[in-house]
Amino acid sequence: METTIVKDVLSKIRKRPEFGVFVAFLVIFIGFSFAAERFLTFDSIAGIITVAAELGIVTAGITFLMIAGEFDLSVGSVLGVSGMIFAITATAGLPHIVGLLLSLAAAAAIGLLNGVLVVRTRVPSFIITLGSQMLWRGVILAVTGGFPVRYWGDSTLLFALNGRFAGQLRMSAFWFLGVVMVLTFILTRTRYGNWVFATGGGPEAARTLGIRIHRVKVVNFVVSAVLAGLAGCIQFARFHSVDPTRGQGLELEAIAAAVIGGTLMTGGYGSMIGALLGALLVGMVRSGLVMAGAPSYWYQAFIGIVLIVASVVNIRLRRWALR
Amino acid sequence: MSGDDFLVRMEGISKRFGTVQALKDVDFDVKRQEVMGLVGDNGAGKSTLIKILTGVHKPDEGKIYFEGREVSFNSPKEARDLGIETVYQDLALIPLMSITRNFFLGRELVRKVGPLNLMEHRRMDEIAAGALREIGVKVRSPDEPVAILSGGERQSVAIGRAMHFGAKLLILDEPTAALSIKESQKVLDFVLEAKERGLSIIFITHNIYHVYSVADRFTILEHGRKVAEFAKGEVSPEEIIEIIRSGHAARKGEG
Repeated sequence: METTIVKDVLSKIRKRPEFGVFVAFLVIFIGFSFAAERFLTFDSIAGIITVAAELGIVTAGITFLMIAGEFDLSVGSVLGVSGMIFAITATAGLPHIVGLLLSLAAAAAIGLLNGVLVVRTRVPSFIITLGSQMLWRGVILAVTGGFPVRYWGDSTLLFALNGRFAGQLRMSAFWFLGVVMVLTFILTRTRYGNWVFATGGGPEAARTLGIRIHRVKVVNFVVSAVLAGLAGCIQFARFHSVDPTRGQGLELEAIAAAVIGGTLMTGGYGSMIGALLGALLVGMVRSGLVMAGAPSYWYQAFIGIVLIVASVVNIRLRRWALR
Repeated sequence: MSGDDFLVRMEGISKRFGTVQALKDVDFDVKRQEVMGLVGDNGAGKSTLIKILTGVHKPDEGKIYFEGREVSFNSPKEARDLGIETVYQDLALIPLMSITRNFFLGRELVRKVGPLNLMEHRRMDEIAAGALREIGVKVRSPDEPVAILSGGERQSVAIGRAMHFGAKLLILDEPTAALSIKESQKVLDFVLEAKERGLSIIFITHNIYHVYSVADRFTILEHGRKVAEFAKGEVSPEEIIEIIRSGHAARKGEG
């Protein structure tokens, strides 16, 4: 009797998309706890969360889009554009709330453009958003002349976005958690969530059943871009400056975190909890390696290994779960 | 227009795709509580005719009457709203999603909580499991992904879904094409069960023996034209096959 309950619970757990990343997270966490002396301190954990939160907000957006069967290579540039607009409007003396809204609106517009181009032209999102990535990065470089924008002021809004409220712990943690909770709610409890999974998991079947898959895709492109924009504003609130290369390479890190978190590149499968753990894992590896005394160059190599191992394990796990 | 006898009447349906004449002046009808076998070789126009009836394509010429009233569908949804449910060859199921989520896809049950519409997972689970049990399909749990089901079980889920959503007309597109003998038999049982419940069924297939055992009438298409129409007693399966092979009704008059 008891063993059947245990078996039941085990079979439920192993079928979750985030099962693999959860185990990986624990293993790496325990590893660093032994390898790096100061890893298990409040400030060190807070530092990891700060890095993970900014990456994680982008990861959550990209996961939402990947479940709908598309992806977005332009989120790094969108993050840069939004941060830059926020910084420029702030230095120009505009109220911060206006700057924030303008930044998010710009991000939404870029997402809308990406989405509409993808569904109208049927060019794969890989190509469209690669072009978009280069385009907007180029615009940032041209507008700023390659120089960073600094801002010396402060405000409650900036604090609310990413102020320090306890030791090294920052407000971004709450934004991250909030985004994950809202998107989890949408995916699991609303009809729209059902349509997102269907759009990525079987577009033809979804269309046959009357789901407007193009609209779902465009909406998710916008969500992904707005969240990248929000991350850009949050990052600006931390550094009080934006340099023109801000966010470069982040798109790949976010996709890596999403995939490590169990989300399928092919769509129709994934979870926000997975995105959360994926982003935390990437943040943890980044800090942990430094603390363990490894040269920071090794960070990328290590993430690469984790990505490959995680993908292989996730595919195996899914086959096992679908038996 | 005897609206009482016929659930569906299609009159003088023609459809061209570019230079291809897919259908030419086809009359087709289905009575209430009747199983109509729609047969013919590949490219005969069976799918096109059904796609016109389900609102996927619009006919170039011809009229469609449903329950005695003339109808014109702009989308598959409009046809579905009238009670025309189709089980497609690809089943329109999404493997990675749960049985319940598939069952209710596009028709999710929601409950209003403040400004939010929440999906009622438990109720949907119960209804899906109940509907499938009713037609004799056993699934371990409705939140299992469709991917773990066999071909026959998937077919059952798709048919169960169509039957549950109150279809008046159930269209089965090659429902036995990919199934084992045992599973095919089950599908044929569903067809009779659906008829028992008062539904009309259009059964599209290559397999004359399958359709022959359940159909009341047959319509035979060839090269976009209707070549014959028979009630079951009038022909043997071998004669139907011969007609399809030769492309015309050799000995029996057109219905």
